[in-house]
Amino acid sequence: MSSTTPPPSHTQPSHTQPVPNTFTEEEPRDKYWYKRAVFYEVLIRGFADSNGDGTGDIRGLIEKLDYLQWLGIDCLWLLPLYESPLKDGGYDISDYMKILPDFGDLGDFVRLVDEAHKRGIRVIADLVMNHTSDQHPWFQASRHDPEGPYGDFYVWRDTDEEYKDARIIFIDTEASNWTFDPVRGQYYWHRFFHHQPDLNFENPAVQDAMMEVIRFWLDLGIDGFRLDAIPYLFEQEDTNCENLPATHAYLKRVRAEVDRIYPDRVLLAEANQWPADVVEYFGDPVTGGDECHMAFHFPLMPRIFMAVRRESRYPISEIMAQTPKIPENCQWGIFLRNHDELTLEMVTDEERDYMYSEYAKDPRMRANVGIRRRLATLLDNDRNQIELFTALLLSLPGSPVMYYGDEIGMGDNIWLGDRDGVRTPMQWTPDRNAGFSNCDPGRLYLPVIMDPIYGYQAINVEAQQKSASSLLHFTKRMIEIRKRHPVFGLGEFTELNSSNPSVLAFVRELGDDRVLCVNNLSRFPQPVELDLRRFEGSTPVECMGGVPFPPIGELPYLLTLPGHGFYWFTLPVTHRTAGTKEE
Amino acid sequence: MTTSLQGLLAGWITGQRWFAGKGRAIDDLSIDSEIEIVAGDPALLHLIVCVRQGERRTRYQIPVGLREHLPDRLGHVRIGACRRDDREVEVYDALHDSALTGHLLEGMAGDRRFDGLGFHLAHGAQIDTSQRSLVLTAEQSNTSLVYGDQYIFKLFRQLSPGVNPELEIITALADAGSAQVARPYGWIETELLGEPTTLAIMQEYLQNANEGWSMALTSVRDLYACPEDMPAQDAGGDFAGEARRLGLATAQVHRELARAFPTGTIEPPEIKRMTERFRRRLDKAVAEVPRLGEHAAVAAEAFDRLSDLGHEIPVQRVHGDYHLGQVMRTMTDWVVLDFEGEPGQPLAERRALDSPLRDVAGMLRSFDYAARHLLADRPDAESLENRAREWSERNRAAFLAGYSEGGGRIRGDDAVLLRALELSKAVYEVVYEARNRPSWLPIPIAAFR
Repeated sequence: MSSTTPPPSHTQPSHTQPVPNTFTEEEPRDKYWYKRAVFYEVLIRGFADSNGDGTGDIRGLIEKLDYLQWLGIDCLWLLPLYESPLKDGGYDISDYMKILPDFGDLGDFVRLVDEAHKRGIRVIADLVMNHTSDQHPWFQASRHDPEGPYGDFYVWRDTDEEYKDARIIFIDTEASNWTFDPVRGQYYWHRFFHHQPDLNFENPAVQDAMMEVIRFWLDLGIDGFRLDAIPYLFEQEDTNCENLPATHAYLKRVRAEVDRIYPDRVLLAEANQWPADVVEYFGDPVTGGDECHMAFHFPLMPRIFMAVRRESRYPISEIMAQTPKIPENCQWGIFLRNHDELTLEMVTDEERDYMYSEYAKDPRMRANVGIRRRLATLLDNDRNQIELFTALLLSLPGSPVMYYGDEIGMGDNIWLGDRDGVRTPMQWTPDRNAGFSNCDPGRLYLPVIMDPIYGYQAINVEAQQKSASSLLHFTKRMIEIRKRHPVFGLGEFTELNSSNPSVLAFVRELGDDRVLCVNNLSRFPQPVELDLRRFEGSTPVECMGGVPFPPIGELPYLLTLPGHGFYWFTLPVTHRTAGTKEE
Repeated sequence: MTTSLQGLLAGWITGQRWFAGKGRAIDDLSIDSEIEIVAGDPALLHLIVCVRQGERRTRYQIPVGLREHLPDRLGHVRIGACRRDDREVEVYDALHDSALTGHLLEGMAGDRRFDGLGFHLAHGAQIDTSQRSLVLTAEQSNTSLVYGDQYIFKLFRQLSPGVNPELEIITALADAGSAQVARPYGWIETELLGEPTTLAIMQEYLQNANEGWSMALTSVRDLYACPEDMPAQDAGGDFAGEARRLGLATAQVHRELARAFPTGTIEPPEIKRMTERFRRRLDKAVAEVPRLGEHAAVAAEAFDRLSDLGHEIPVQRVHGDYHLGQVMRTMTDWVVLDFEGEPGQPLAERRALDSPLRDVAGMLRSFDYAARHLLADRPDAESLENRAREWSERNRAAFLAGYSEGGGRIRGDDAVLLRALELSKAVYEVVYEARNRPSWLPIPIAAFR
C-alpha cells in the first residue's frame, strides 16, 4: 500500500538522525532519504581492481566501501554495469539482466548492495531505457524475424522520412536518426549512435519488458536508478520527439509500480534540459510528484564556473531565480563535474538566457567547461577555489553528487581520447598503479595520472587521510557539517540582497534550522553588507569552528571575506520578542 | 530656559551631510511651514525651514519626531530638547524612527492630505503599510529610506519649487510599461512659492541589484591582476557582455522617453551657439588648468567640426546625468535610476530637451573613469595604462554596439556630435578634478587624444 500524498519529510522526527543502516522492504525508515543524501558517482572500472586484470570490479568497490563510509557518502551512483559490447561506455546494453563480466557477476552485485547497506550507504545505477545495443538479442530477433515476438520491439520503417523535426544529437558522427538494416530491409530509429537502436515504447510488450528489468534489479536490493536519456522514449510526427506526453505517462506507470512494491527507492532523471522543462519529470505537484523523485539541474554547474570567472554572482543568482519550485517530495541533483562532457549549448535557449551569448564568446568557458576536465584542473589546482566550489555544491539547494576522485583533487589526462581523460584509475596510494590494481602497469584499462602536480605520487587518498589539512579532510568535514543540518537538503533557499556584486549570500531555512551562506566569488578580499533584519537578535555561529559572531542588529551586517572565501553560519533562533522596536 | 526649535535646528543643520551652505555662518533660520502628521507621543512634525546666509536663502525639508523620553537607539539623531505646549520634549530626526515612518506609508497608501501636505498613491499601485523602514547611509543631497525590501523612499532635503523631473519621468515610463525604470508607488507634494513641488518619491526597491559602477570596477580589478599578455576579452572578469546589454537598455529608455514626452530639433544656428558655449568653457578651463593647454587643440577641432554641421539635430527628454552609478543590474536587466538631471541646475534646465547622445557621451566618460580611477593612487599605474585603455575601449565599443543594436541613433554625423559632447564633458571634468581631486586629473586628460 502506498499513499499518494505522503507527509512532507520534514514533519518526521527522523531528519536529524543519520540515514538508517537497514534497508528492508518491510520497514522503509525514511522514504525521503534522497533529499538529504550526499551522492558519489563511481566508475566501477576505475575505482578498484580486486583480481589484478587491470580493470576495476565490483569486489574492488566492496573493499573500498569503508573509505566511502568514512568520507560520509550516503549513496553510490554506478555507471552502467550491464553486459555490453562497450561501444558507448556501457550505455549500449546487450543484456539487461547480466553484469558485465569484467565487473563480476550478479552474486558480486548482491553482496555489494548488502555490504553498502550495512554501512548505511545506498546504491543506485544507470539504466538506459531508451535504446539497447544492436547486439541485444531483442534487436537480433527483431531484424531477423519481423513477424516474431520481438518484431515490433524497435521503431522500423520502410523509409527514413518520418520525424524530421527531431534533432540529431551526435551530429559529429551520425548523419540521420534513421539507419538502414540490410538484414530486415528496413530503416530503424536511433536518437544516439546508429549501433543503439531505440526501443519501440508504443509496443506494450516493450513497456512490460522494461518494467520487468526494473523489478529484477529492485528485487536484488538496488535503491534506484538514474534514468538515462529519458526525454526520448516516444516519437510523434511534427514534434521534436522530446518530452512527449506519452513519455510522461509511461514514467508515471513506472513510478506507480516502484511505489507499490518498493516504496523507499529513487528514480533520478537525466534530462539535459532547462529547469522549467525538467520539472515536468517530477510529475504532478498535487501528488508531491509522481514521476521521478530527482532530476539533475544541468545549467547550474557551468554558471558556478562562470560566476567565479566573472567574479560576479549574477550567473548563479539568475539561474536560481529562474528555477521553478518543484513538487514537495522531489529534489534536484546538483554537481560540479561528472563523467560526461557538458556544454551550455545543450541546456540553454538563447531567448531565455543571456548567458548563451556571453558563454559562447568566452574562450576559456568554451574550451574548458564544455570539455572533459576535472574540478581541480579546471580551477588550476587552486585550493581556495576548490574549497569554494565544494562549499557551493554542498549548500545550494539540491542533493550534491560528487565525482570520484574530486574529493582529493585528482587531475585528468587530456591526451586520452573522448571522455577517457576524466575516467583514469582512482589514486589510492603512492604505490604501483596508484594502489588501484596490482597488475602489470601496461595492462591497466587506462594509465594512471603521472604528472608532477596531479600524479598519484602527489595526490592520493592514503597521503591525504594522514594529513588533517588535506582537501580530503576538508571535504569530509564539510559533508559532516552538511549532514548535521538537514536544512541543506530540505530547507527553503532565499538569496539575500548583497551590496557587493562579487558576493553571493543566501539563507537556507527549515523551521528553526537556519543557515546563512556567504560566498566571495572574487579572487580579492571583499566586504559585504547584508540586510539581516529578519534575523535581528540572533547571534550567527560559524559552522566550521563554532565561533560566535556579533549579534545581528537593525543596521546592515558587515562581513569581510578573503579572496574566494566563504562562511557558513547557523542563525540560532532567539526567544526575544519581535517588539524590540517599541519601548 | 530652553532653546527655541529654530535655535535647535540652526545648531543642528550645519552638521548634516545634505546641508548645502557649509562653511558660511547662518544669519537666520525661520520655519516656513509646520504641519503635524502624527499627534501624541511620539509625534511627527513636518517642517520646511528657510536658511538665510547672506543674500542666499535655501529651503530645507526636515521631518522631526517629538518624544518625552528619547530611547537610546535614537540618541544618535537627537536634535535637542525644547519646550512645546508647556511640555519639555526631545526633538530628533524622525526619518530614523521606524515607529513614525510607517505613517508616511499610510499617508501615501490612503492618498491623504495634512493641511498643505498632499500624500499621493501612484496610479495602479498598492502599498503594503506593514513594512518597516531603515535609513540608507552615504547619501549627499537626499535622505532615503528602504521599507522592508519593497520600497525606497527618497526625501529631497534641499527644496526648489517645481515638480521633480524624476517623478514626471518614472511615472510616464512606468505607465508605458517600461522594464527599465523602478516602478513608482507614491509621492508627497506641497506648494512652495506658489508652485506644486515634489517633496519625496517612493519607488520599487530593486532587490538584489547592484550598481553598474561597482560591477565595472570588479571587472577592471580582475583585468589589472591578469597576466599582461592576456587580452581583455580572455580575462575572466570581462564586462563587455554587460556593457552591450547596458547599451541596449539605454536605447530602450531613450525610445520610451521620446514616445512619452515632446521631441524637437535644434537647427544649425543653435548648434553654432552651443558650440560657442563649449569653446568658451574650454578657454576658461585652459586658463584655470594649464595642463589642459597642450590637449586643447583636440577639443577645439571636435568643436569646429560640430560647428560646421549643416543640419538639424533631434532632441528629446534625456536622463541628463547618465553614468555607471545611475544604473542598476537587476536579476533580469539594467534599470536606470535618478532621472533628476544634473543636480544643482535650475529645474527648467533639467527638463530641457537635449540630444540623447548627451547621455551616451556621459556613459562613455564613465567607462573611462571606471577603467582609470583605480590607477590614481597605484605605484604601478604606468604599466597598467595600456590595460586601462584596453578595458575602456573594449567596453565603450560594446556599449555603443548595444546602443545601436537597440535602435539608438549613431550614424554618420552623429559621431561628430557625440565626440564634441564627450570632450565637452571631459573639459568640465578637468576643471572639477583640478579643484577637488588633483590626483584624478589624468583621467579626464586622457580623453583628449
